[in-house]
Amino acid sequence: MRCGTCDECAINDSRADGSEGAAYVVALAGNPNTGKSTVFNALTGLRQHTGNWPGKTVTRAEGRFTHEGKTYRLVDLPGTYSLLSASEDEKIARDFILFGQPDCTIVVTDATCLERNLNLVLQVLEISDRVVVCVNLMDEAKRKGIAVDAEALQRELGVPVVKTTARSHRGLDELVQRVAEVAAGKTATQPHRVRWSEPLDAAVEKLRPMIEKVAPGLPNVRWVAMRLLDGDWRIQQSLMDGELAKIAQVQQHPTERFSRQLAVEGRQ
Amino acid sequence: MILTNQNSDAKSQQSGLWGWLSRWKARRQQHRMEDLLKHLHACERRRRTASVESAAGFLHVSTRRAMTLIAQAEARGLLRRAANGLALTDHGRELAMAVLRAHRLWERYLADEAGMPLPRVHATANRLEHERVGDQVDELDAVLGFPHTDPHGDPIPSAAGQLAAVPGIALTDWSTGEAGHIVHLEDEPAFVFRQIVDLKLMPGQRLQLQSVDEHGQYEVNIDGRTLLLSPQVAANVYLEPLQELHPTAIAAPRRLSELHQSEAAVIDRIDDSLRGLSRRRLLDLGMTPGTVVSAEHTAMFRDPTAYRVRGTLVALRREQADRILLRDESTGE
Amino acid sequence: MTQLSPFTSHEVADLLDEAQRVRGSLDRGFRDHLVESIYHDAAAIAGRVTRRGKAAGFDLDRVIDRIVLSPVLGLPLMLLLLGLIFWTTIIGANYPSQMLATGLFWIEAQAAAMFEAMGAPWWLTGFIWHGVYRGLAWVISVMLPPMAIFFPCFTILEDLGYLPRVAYNLDWLFKKSGGHGKQALTMSMGFGCNAAGVIACRVIDSPRERLIAILTNNFVPCNGRYPTLILIAMVIVGAGFAPTAASAIAAASVLMVVVIGVIATLLASALLSHTLLKGQASAFTLELPSYRRPNIGRIIYTSLIDRTIFVLLRAIATAAPAGAVIWLLGNIHAGASGGTLDQHVAGFLDPLGHLIGLDGVILLAYIIAIPANEIVVPTMLMVYMSTGMMTEDVSHDSLRQVLVEQHGWTMLTAINLMLFSLLHNPCATTIITMWKETRSLRWTALGAVGPLVVAFAVCFIVAQAAHLFGLG
Repeated sequence: MRCGTCDECAINDSRADGSEGAAYVVALAGNPNTGKSTVFNALTGLRQHTGNWPGKTVTRAEGRFTHEGKTYRLVDLPGTYSLLSASEDEKIARDFILFGQPDCTIVVTDATCLERNLNLVLQVLEISDRVVVCVNLMDEAKRKGIAVDAEALQRELGVPVVKTTARSHRGLDELVQRVAEVAAGKTATQPHRVRWSEPLDAAVEKLRPMIEKVAPGLPNVRWVAMRLLDGDWRIQQSLMDGELAKIAQVQQHPTERFSRQLAVEGRQ
Repeated sequence: MILTNQNSDAKSQQSGLWGWLSRWKARRQQHRMEDLLKHLHACERRRRTASVESAAGFLHVSTRRAMTLIAQAEARGLLRRAANGLALTDHGRELAMAVLRAHRLWERYLADEAGMPLPRVHATANRLEHERVGDQVDELDAVLGFPHTDPHGDPIPSAAGQLAAVPGIALTDWSTGEAGHIVHLEDEPAFVFRQIVDLKLMPGQRLQLQSVDEHGQYEVNIDGRTLLLSPQVAANVYLEPLQELHPTAIAAPRRLSELHQSEAAVIDRIDDSLRGLSRRRLLDLGMTPGTVVSAEHTAMFRDPTAYRVRGTLVALRREQADRILLRDESTGE
Repeated sequence: MTQLSPFTSHEVADLLDEAQRVRGSLDRGFRDHLVESIYHDAAAIAGRVTRRGKAAGFDLDRVIDRIVLSPVLGLPLMLLLLGLIFWTTIIGANYPSQMLATGLFWIEAQAAAMFEAMGAPWWLTGFIWHGVYRGLAWVISVMLPPMAIFFPCFTILEDLGYLPRVAYNLDWLFKKSGGHGKQALTMSMGFGCNAAGVIACRVIDSPRERLIAILTNNFVPCNGRYPTLILIAMVIVGAGFAPTAASAIAAASVLMVVVIGVIATLLASALLSHTLLKGQASAFTLELPSYRRPNIGRIIYTSLIDRTIFVLLRAIATAAPAGAVIWLLGNIHAGASGGTLDQHVAGFLDPLGHLIGLDGVILLAYIIAIPANEIVVPTMLMVYMSTGMMTEDVSHDSLRQVLVEQHGWTMLTAINLMLFSLLHNPCATTIITMWKETRSLRWTALGAVGPLVVAFAVCFIVAQAAHLFGLG
């Protein structure tokens, strides 16, 4: 899964040296104040400090957990509301999800304000299809009389959805199970695609064949095209220096990316 | 990072005071040369003749020094002496365009992302425009989302060096009753521009000319405010007609800041004058057109106010809330 | 690694050209529409998968916010909370501190006696036990109890979601001073540790406002400086009043100092944003998260292990060498008079110290304590004691005796020491962090030297004013 042999690419390097012995890399994304750090601590057994204020995690924390004999390296990304604003924290999160190629990205959401949190989920789904959505803070939701239908959400998003209360470790076993399945490629996901405006869609379609030519097999052509239109220097650079093409190639490797047999429950 | 300027002068690598001094001199020389080209380009655009005297005046140097500089530029093939003064060569125009592009992109960056007051943006950009390292300017362009104009509404040259015409018609050539949106605010002379900034005029605002009084004062209606503009100011405000005169376009729209406590309303749009990171942040928090917001708490001196948006509580300062326009319809309840 | 697919920069250039061409055909506001369509889907999905039970009729969060965010009650409530925390800390820390000190100094005496019995040379015993060990013992007994009380209290507020509300309540002040609303957040983090506060400044997007927040973070006292403040408040300030009121007065004086620190932050921010860092206030969008029940077990863990122990270890790491240095200074005799080195240095600094209402020993302590502010009080006391009468009794009464009777401290000394401690230069860690965050020597230098200048100026003015009115 990892391309340890590729030594020009800085991210793959950083990935390789931190992950000896780790079978998979899992990224942890989410809005600020969704209990992301609590999930991180609960999964890794580490005690990263958590506080209830936006933007608390300003650096990238890392930990590990094991499941069925396999080690997973968990990377806690800065909490962001979006991946479009290109502020420092959003750049860190976006770059890791795109260029760090995690085997699975967990998006932690707040069950009490799902609408705002889905904004980020939908953006992550445009970049990666290896996503597990964690609907956290279920206890708070219950207190406020909010019920979330996880199965319906799973059908809507096309990726596994797990309800958790990370603070009391509820739902975490299932979360780890789903993450393991997605990381191993055993779950076929069909991420929800947002309907964009007609002109934007048309513009993206014009660029699509050209991007596919430059980086064959790229799973998120639509998103890359949108970023090029919006103005994203990092994406532009990665096209010019071939970084994106390399990622596409790794992802295309037949035995690894496209061998997902099991469908997401409720999807078939 | 965009704000760091590396000293990439590879020519003189001497160390010590002497090396530093010669590097500084070389840089100053480069700045002056580029300013000279800018001046020639400005004259070309305005169909004026550039002369040694006008160049000396623009650069604040003696005529003798200006002559030396012009000779050097000529030797480098950047300009030539024509019958009616100085003219740019194609190569010189290319360089002038690169400087202009850097200047206007930096202005956009400083105004939108760094929050620098408009009157100071020009001077800072004058310094930064000379520090063009690698593809930094192209990066700036992409990071800013490929803007078409600088904060004053002047067009930004494309990477290929294409420069669009200055858009719009001056308010002095506008007829009474006509409505348009501001596309350009001339930033020279500085004292007039300062008045423009003080009047809070910004590109993107919608404006209707009400009348011109006997003293030549222009009475205009801008987003519901009635202002009196002096003739000098009016001459420096450029407008483009509104394609369709929407009935609500000129009528004073309600602003989020005017919402009473516990009152709910629907967002119509974020004002065009709010740009850059501030605008993106508001959108990311879900303040998109059609969203229901309600004012929930307000702090001391009514600033900031906490609004309920999509199930979350978000505090905004009055400046932001002022730029969020509400729909006319009332939401009932 | 398999072979790269053949691609040429030519194709990429074509792509970018095409992107530019297509972009021209797009509406300029397409980014707005994009976010709009994402949120449109998000709202639709959220609507389909969530069910809201009948609203409980009573939204507790909203009721609490009515009070906490109230324009009238918000600020007083904040001060009251903070004051309460200080008071609890002062009340609670007094006794354990003395117990710890008694225990630790008993060990010192026993160990030193044992060394002597074993025939170790006097300088070895002195260096290890009266130097290095005593430094450690002081730091632990002076710092551990207040931190073990203050941090959990502070962490509870943090976990509840109170800090963003502090930012909300203080925003009008920061707006006036040209700073960012979130500067109140980074300032609050500075209460824990200024270095952490400086790192927290990353939450501020605008470079100008971030720099202001970084440069002024030092004006809130970090945990390393609380012990100094609290100790002085208890020993000198509080003692001037009736015993029943003493701890309340002490807490109030610490609160006062913190308020002065906030005022200094605001003034310094205003000064910076009108001189070196001119600019407009950028957008302020602050989410006020719903209140969460704090997880008591985790709070105790994070505040004790992460913060208290972390800070204590850092203090110990610097206190041990500092203890050694002080012992050496106190035992190396030099000059014609035969005085010890620290007497010479303190004597040299004395005129400067008196000018700002302090004395040479205090200044010497601050110089030795540059690596970590935590050890200011221990250093000071050790220098005093090595030059004066030795005492291992650290009850507040005997401390007051040493400071007031033997070394001529007055109320002015105490007040100025608190002010100096609040305003002076940041510790080495914070300075290094500033450099890491700004990557600029100039700003780092300003952040390091600026506060020192402010501290000298303020203390000078206070001292001279006191002398003028015959109070000092």
